[in-house]
Amino acid sequence: MASIDSDVRDEGIALEPAPRVAHTAVGARTHFRRFTAFQRWVHFFIMVSFSLLVLTGMPLKYSDKAWAQTWMGLIGGVENAGMIHRFAAMIMVTCVICMLGFFVTILIRTKGHFWGPGTMVPTRQDYRDLRAMVSWFIGKSPQPKLQLDRYAYYEKGEFWAASAGVSIMCITGAILWYPEVAARYLPGIVINFALVNHSGGALLAMGFVVVFWHFFHAHLRPETFPMDKAMYAGGLPLEEYVHERPVEYERLVREGKLDDVLVAPVSETRMKIQNVVWWIITGAALFLWAVFCIFVVWVTYNWLISF
Amino acid sequence: MSSRHAILAALAAVCILLVAAAPAAAVTFTIPTGKTDRCLECHSKPDLGAIEVNGVKKTLTVDQDAWHASMHARMDCTSCHTGFEAREHTPEETKGWYQQAKLTACSDCHSAEFKMYDKSFHGNLVMNEGSEEAPACGDCHGSHGIVDPTTAEFRESIPAVCGRCHGEKSETYLDTYHGKSVRMGDMSRAVCVDCHGSHEILPKSDPDSAVSSQNVVATCGKCHDSANSKFASFMVHVDRSTPHSSLWVWLMEMNHAVLIAVLFTLGGLHCFLYFYRGLKEGLYRRG
Repeated sequence: MASIDSDVRDEGIALEPAPRVAHTAVGARTHFRRFTAFQRWVHFFIMVSFSLLVLTGMPLKYSDKAWAQTWMGLIGGVENAGMIHRFAAMIMVTCVICMLGFFVTILIRTKGHFWGPGTMVPTRQDYRDLRAMVSWFIGKSPQPKLQLDRYAYYEKGEFWAASAGVSIMCITGAILWYPEVAARYLPGIVINFALVNHSGGALLAMGFVVVFWHFFHAHLRPETFPMDKAMYAGGLPLEEYVHERPVEYERLVREGKLDDVLVAPVSETRMKIQNVVWWIITGAALFLWAVFCIFVVWVTYNWLISF
Repeated sequence: MSSRHAILAALAAVCILLVAAAPAAAVTFTIPTGKTDRCLECHSKPDLGAIEVNGVKKTLTVDQDAWHASMHARMDCTSCHTGFEAREHTPEETKGWYQQAKLTACSDCHSAEFKMYDKSFHGNLVMNEGSEEAPACGDCHGSHGIVDPTTAEFRESIPAVCGRCHGEKSETYLDTYHGKSVRMGDMSRAVCVDCHGSHEILPKSDPDSAVSSQNVVATCGKCHDSANSKFASFMVHVDRSTPHSSLWVWLMEMNHAVLIAVLFTLGGLHCFLYFYRGLKEGLYRRG
């Protein structure tokens, strides 16, 4: 990668030549802490439970297909799959509760975090970023240098889509788990609604959030290929970070908060072990991604020929 | 009491026991008359031809494998096909038997089931209204290849058997958790007859029906302990692909179809174009 200074000058970002100063001033703490250990563990458990939920739920959705019946036989039948599905659901619900607690904490502790800089709420800048990207996609302008604060527009989109999805899946899943209890308070047609939404929501979650969105932006886009290591290493080198999130960097320097988020990179031995473990997981994830891709194409094809 | 009296009493007791036990033994009791072999002299030939019964062509060749595997493998042909003689059959014999068969062929042994069937919707159509479409015993159970109705094999076949006439209902059933589980081999879930009944089946509008508004909660309650009327108002037979079945369910289904179509297209385009530009501009070749 080119040096930070030239990068910054090339793209015309109004940045003082602060990076080098910060870089040397903090000694060995050369990495920017993108995710805390808590966030990384939550991500890990959501990844595992999501995969289990898909693998045990999808064969039931497509129960009339031969591949679904073969797969259901391999995982030990409907009864077993149901048990794994509910177990995984409890892991995911636990993660969601932990995250909600985390959000409440940071909202109380840091005033203005919800709307302020580094927000997860879509802003006008996100719209400008998206427009710049689309214009690059269609060949009307060169690759834009996105003015990213903490979260990019595609990360915000994924966050809100996943939040909506997980809410719907939790509520409808609970109704389908205890339909008799649900019917004590709600009319019976709600169970019908739950079936339709759990089934459709599952396909949306898998196809849109995972295949088209998350796997692409976290693994396959040019900047991160083959994967964004920040989610397991926790940090990324400051040079890369300045390049990726210029607005957040500038803001932190301005507020004098950069020192709070700098960490030493993990030791080389630990990195090696982590690399092995995470390459195995990433390999599995990429394999599943390929399977999901084929699956989504197949679903779309079947849907189109049904007309 | 003299010893002679004691022997007589013992003999009498044995006789009474035998008489009392006879009905229980009768289920598998067959008379080894050899008639079956005589029937098969002709009816095992593959080129015997077919006859038409109620517009359905039926082969005169007996599928011996199915018959040997069936519940009735040890029965004599004439136990069901009463009145036939061991020679080329006259039209009177044949016609007469088909008219009598639905009355007596099964009910001689299975009278309890037949009584229930007689009072049912299907039974009424066949017995009283002379319907040729409504099912008699053999239409659901088969004839020569009758399977033990307590087996998983039979249970698994029920949605398809009912679906021969009630195709739409069978389709919508297979779209529910019950149906999906059964199709995937979990036979503990409800199939058609668990809710609707089998021999005694009646339409929903009949108060005695298992799925009438008076009885449906109790029917659900067979499996779902705390089922109430709201639970029972869950619509099992909803066709999600049409607004005529349930407008709200259809609207939700359409909502998902549109969401999926739009989001998959936009998301797919975003990924593909990003990937394409990345490849074209050499962004994947980094040190």
